[in-house]
Amino acid sequence: MSSFLPAVAVLLVALLCLDLHSRVASAPICTHGPSGCHVLSLADLFDRVIQHSARMHSLSNDLHSEFEQYFLPSKNHIGKIYHKCHTSSILTPNGKENAQKLAREELTEVILKLLMAWRDPLFQLHQSMAHQQDFNSFSSNKALEMGDMAHELRKGVEKVAERMRVLGMLGNSVTGLSAAEAMLPISDSGEAMSNYELLYCFRRDSNKVQNYLKILKCRIVPEHDC
Amino acid sequence: MLKIQLCITGINYILTYIKTLCVSPPGKPRLTSCRSPEKETFTCWWEPGGDGGLPTTYALYYHLENSETVYECPDYRTAGENSCFFNKNDTSLWVNYNITVVATNALGKNISDPVEVDVVYIVQPNTPENVTAVVVHDEQGPFVRVSWEKPRTADTRSGWITLLYQLRVKQEKDKEWEVGLKKKRKCLIISYIYIPRERSLWIMITIFSVFIVLILTWTLNVKRNSVKLCLLPPVPGPKIKGFEKQLLKSGKSEEVFNTLVIQGFPPTTDYDELLVEYLEVYDNEEQELVLDGKDLSEDCMKSKSPSDSDSGRGSCDSRTLLLEKCMEGREGSGSGSDQHQYSQHGETSWASTESSESQGPEPGSPESADGCGKTWPVVFSSPQPQTHHHYQVGAAKPAYHSVPEILNHSSPHTTPSNYHQLHHQDIPQQEGRFSKPACRHSQSYNQFNLDGVGTPAPGVPPSPSLEYVEVQRVNPENMLLLRPLSDPNREPEGLDCAGEDYSKVKEVTNNILLLQRDTSHQCVDYYSQDLDNQADQCTTQQPPHPCKPAVHQSNSRMPHEGMRVMGNGYVDSTVLMPSY
Repeated sequence: MSSFLPAVAVLLVALLCLDLHSRVASAPICTHGPSGCHVLSLADLFDRVIQHSARMHSLSNDLHSEFEQYFLPSKNHIGKIYHKCHTSSILTPNGKENAQKLAREELTEVILKLLMAWRDPLFQLHQSMAHQQDFNSFSSNKALEMGDMAHELRKGVEKVAERMRVLGMLGNSVTGLSAAEAMLPISDSGEAMSNYELLYCFRRDSNKVQNYLKILKCRIVPEHDC
Repeated sequence: MLKIQLCITGINYILTYIKTLCVSPPGKPRLTSCRSPEKETFTCWWEPGGDGGLPTTYALYYHLENSETVYECPDYRTAGENSCFFNKNDTSLWVNYNITVVATNALGKNISDPVEVDVVYIVQPNTPENVTAVVVHDEQGPFVRVSWEKPRTADTRSGWITLLYQLRVKQEKDKEWEVGLKKKRKCLIISYIYIPRERSLWIMITIFSVFIVLILTWTLNVKRNSVKLCLLPPVPGPKIKGFEKQLLKSGKSEEVFNTLVIQGFPPTTDYDELLVEYLEVYDNEEQELVLDGKDLSEDCMKSKSPSDSDSGRGSCDSRTLLLEKCMEGREGSGSGSDQHQYSQHGETSWASTESSESQGPEPGSPESADGCGKTWPVVFSSPQPQTHHHYQVGAAKPAYHSVPEILNHSSPHTTPSNYHQLHHQDIPQQEGRFSKPACRHSQSYNQFNLDGVGTPAPGVPPSPSLEYVEVQRVNPENMLLLRPLSDPNREPEGLDCAGEDYSKVKEVTNNILLLQRDTSHQCVDYYSQDLDNQADQCTTQQPPHPCKPAVHQSNSRMPHEGMRVMGNGYVDSTVLMPSY
């Protein structure tokens, strides 16, 4: 019994020491591939993120089509009143040249802004769809998945940005990461947007995100498949 | 000639006039489609609705969503007739274009329906370029190599658009295309191995399988009998054992029916022996017998209970015997002889319980130890097999009913050594007072034979039990000799009628039960009685039937109604039980 005491004491001390020196932030254990750890390259990260965004956009497209099919029988009917999307305040490039003119940081910032702006509205959309009787559970689940995906995508893009910053690709002028704020889907007139309008706006914004990410990726990690 | 010219001119004028008359504002144009090949520019086409007879001009106007500024189409020519081309500068993505076409002529204008267009959703890339298909011969066989290039305008390099390619193949004669998987934005050159032999392979496989099916069918056909046997085993038809069709055909019905006869059915002799052997006599100790004169009747009445628990015991029930006794007592006819021997005529079925061992042939002087016994006076049961007792129950009227008729002939009789007789000794015959003597008698007999009753008879420990006896024979004095079945010394000694079997009732007529000897008809005796019908009858039964006391019939009741003669000559005693 007495022989164990010193060993226990040593263990305790070691634990304490480790605890004191440990960091809270997660740091990658493996930074280099040859060490045996599988490190995701930036290209892989981009690919994942782009796949994510593609999935998100397809979901929004499906939901929007369902809406149009069941609730708005006539397409392009006169009298459609579109409220402005709440994300219209975010300046986004509306063409290829404009998008290519933007710097990486700005592009990344735009992406993050967009994703952040849709965090709460997507949650609201899912809630309202789940409560309404008009929607079947399938649509409601899609909305939920869409919201989760937007959240995941945002995290992923943040990771990519972090990686880029680590790799020195991004300058320090990136202020958008911290400035991204959640926005409420309130139109100019102050009315809450309807589900259809939300879906309409989100379909567009998810397309934007997907495109911007692709441009960003091909600009940063040019590969043969770009 | 001049006339013709004049006519033509006139017609022209008229037509022109009509034309001028029929002019109208232009018809409504309609936007047919808008398309963007690379997501940077787009073009919209419309179709005119009709010019109305006048030269009409078309103009396309658009305005962006949430903006009231109306712009006109910048380029009407690049895309051809009735089209509008939006170049890169004029194209804005993720913005809705509200486009209308206005047709104008001298008489007026017409505006088409507006169309909302978002360029991102109308992207249709151009076709691949330089599509070539080359047949290449390799060691593995010929294959076709298809190569192409991306459309020129598509900017996939910057990632602005992503193109997927899909290969379609069909033979020259075919109508439909075989479509392959969509390939991602990849290779411009792709190899496609086309195996024209695939089809012949399938043909061969089909022929082979058909061949195999044919062989199987032929095999099954050849072996169909065995297959049928295997799958559907034949159900055996119904058969009668021993019955043969040939016999029937031959016409000998006797043989046929002989085969149908089951040997050993119905049981005959064995059955007889069985029935003969078992005569059951009950000693009912609980039955109270008060043989006072007054009480006698009461007892008689009492004993006339409706419920007769005579289940299976035949009519050797103590109750019936008791009643017999009562009746006998009432009759008051006693022989008066000192010794009453109750001999039983041969024909009567007498359920005799075997006697106890009692060596003493006579029970000795009846001692009335106690009151009239509860037990049945005549019926005894003792389980002592070594003794060979037969009781001859005389037909003494007083108190011994059971075979009252038999008792008619009371005569002294000396029995052989191995027989016992019930003697009524010292029985004062008293008119009207039978109870005592009866009791005595019963007492004596009780003492003689019954268990647990009073003073033990000399050397005779009574023990109630059942033992079966059989009628051995009828001696010349017309006494039915019985012997217990358990006696190992059963042997026909001095039988008057050798090999006789008195177990069968021949007939019942006029209150007469005829017992029939089995082998000969000489030993048939009559048994008749004219008792009152008041007393109950111990149902007449034959020895073969278990537990059958003597035949006792009353005039009133014909045994016919109660007796049931069975096919084999036996009488079912249970039926004869009187119902009160």
